[in-house]
Amino acid sequence: MIRVQGLTKTYGAFTAVDDVSFEAQPGRVTGFLGPNGAGKTTTMRVMVGLTTATSGEVTIGGHHYRDIPNPGRHVGVLLDASAQHAGRTGREILTIGARTMGLPTSRVDEMLELVSLDDREAKRRLRNYSLGMKQRLGIAHALLGDPSVLILDEPANGLDPAGIRWMRGLLKGYADRGGTVLLSSHLLNEVELIADEMVLIGRGRIVARGDKQSLLAGTDHQSTHVTSLDNELLATVLTDRGVTVAAAGQGLRVEAPPVEVGRAAAEHAVVLTDLRAAEGGLEDLFLSLTADTQRDTQRDTQRDTQPDTQRDVLEGFPS
Amino acid sequence: MSATTATPGTEPGAIDLGSTTPVPMSRLAAVELRKALDTRAGRWFAVAILGLVLAVEVIYAFAAPDDALDFEDFLGVAGGVLGYFMPILVIMLVTSEASQRNGLVTFTLEPRRPRVVVAKFLAGFALAIAVMVLASLIAVLGTFVGIAAGASPEWSVDGNILFNGFVLANVVGVLIGFAIATLLMNTPAAIVGYFAYSLILPIAVGILGSLSSGFADVAPWIEFNTAQVPLFTGDYTPTGEEWAQIAVSGTIWLVIPLVLGIARLLRIEFK
Repeated sequence: MIRVQGLTKTYGAFTAVDDVSFEAQPGRVTGFLGPNGAGKTTTMRVMVGLTTATSGEVTIGGHHYRDIPNPGRHVGVLLDASAQHAGRTGREILTIGARTMGLPTSRVDEMLELVSLDDREAKRRLRNYSLGMKQRLGIAHALLGDPSVLILDEPANGLDPAGIRWMRGLLKGYADRGGTVLLSSHLLNEVELIADEMVLIGRGRIVARGDKQSLLAGTDHQSTHVTSLDNELLATVLTDRGVTVAAAGQGLRVEAPPVEVGRAAAEHAVVLTDLRAAEGGLEDLFLSLTADTQRDTQRDTQRDTQPDTQRDVLEGFPS
Repeated sequence: MSATTATPGTEPGAIDLGSTTPVPMSRLAAVELRKALDTRAGRWFAVAILGLVLAVEVIYAFAAPDDALDFEDFLGVAGGVLGYFMPILVIMLVTSEASQRNGLVTFTLEPRRPRVVVAKFLAGFALAIAVMVLASLIAVLGTFVGIAAGASPEWSVDGNILFNGFVLANVVGVLIGFAIATLLMNTPAAIVGYFAYSLILPIAVGILGSLSSGFADVAPWIEFNTAQVPLFTGDYTPTGEEWAQIAVSGTIWLVIPLVLGIARLLRIEFK
């Protein structure tokens, strides 16, 4: 497991990480979520000894990273998939890692197969890799030494939807076998898909943590997306009940839980073609929790009715 | 999956390090040596150095006067060419960690940085020795070319040229490369810096020396290239004063930069 205790890192007057404490448990995938520049990478760099903490400490399996002999055999790390010599082939990069850790060359082939990089791709130089291929190679590198802890910084960045699904399966399987996984992302959707637990960070501070249910439990106002064969009638019925309704795309966005909307529809025999909790749930929470810590001021005041612009805000942070 | 023990009394997920041995230095050094040659830049640079030595030796065999075509002379020429370019191979080995950013991985797999520094030194020297041996063989070849051109060379080698002009000069070259590389931690800047140090500086000192005889006397004490000249000219045996000059200028241009550079490498945040 990974235990971060009271971690602070300052650069001059700038505080990159401010008294951060959390744990990543074995058997779980822990998502480390926050806007760009929130301190995720700095925290992860401190974990593996690339950056020294101003105060506080991180232990991995009860040890400081620097005290772990041949650390690649215990902790798999992917901080930046592009941080490799651009002139080396994918296979050569893995071979260097395997040699350092004292692993047989067969391990390189196993890992290439695991991340679906074929022979031809493995012989290409890194500068000719797409970001998605680099991420696959980086994950192969992290898994080389068969570690019990994985630390991955933005591993899903650059992967296509199929790649993200593949990674979810890979990491879930890894956690199910008892491994500890910590992965960071600035995209809520990614983390929501992959992680069992989430740690939310903004401007160097932890703003919330827990699993998806417990994070959402605290939010009282729920909203629903609904589409029916008679949207007008449904809107009238709901408005009569004192619920806020707004048109959204082909359907309606209703400020009430799905169960209430469904009940109203059933009572008035309106046929529903789509009914779901508005996907902004966690996103709203994330944005509101990090609102005062975000570098962009809240410029879209209509975000309750326009879930798509929220995602733009979330993804559109300058890196 | 490596040992994740759940023995009673310890916290869940504690890692048992008992069965893990540190990465041995020999393995680290072998990996560093591999890294010096596994890119196009590194491999072709090494090949190019040897090709250049060969070309210079052949030209020398035809151009030099008959009484300067002994094996020793060819060895001296090979050593001179190598001394110029060996440091660049070392510079690339060190600066690529920052310029190509693979230092992130290198220092994650071995977070005890001094061990990586030692491994790079060992790799640099192994590389230098290998290139020197190959250059000696090229010197043999050059001597045969000289024979073909009509010379009757002497095969005996003075120990001084072998040690001072060939081995010591190249060891100094490797260390200079290390010092510049660790100080600048940027491949193009370090190579430019090296040529400024090895080409421009001696010329500038030479010009200043010709303008002022006082400066000419001081020059060997403060300029390392000038101080090293007795190592590979004349009888290849510096006098006591010349050794002192090598020591003083070497402290300024080699020891101090090397210490500062390594201190920087140990602290620098690889991004």
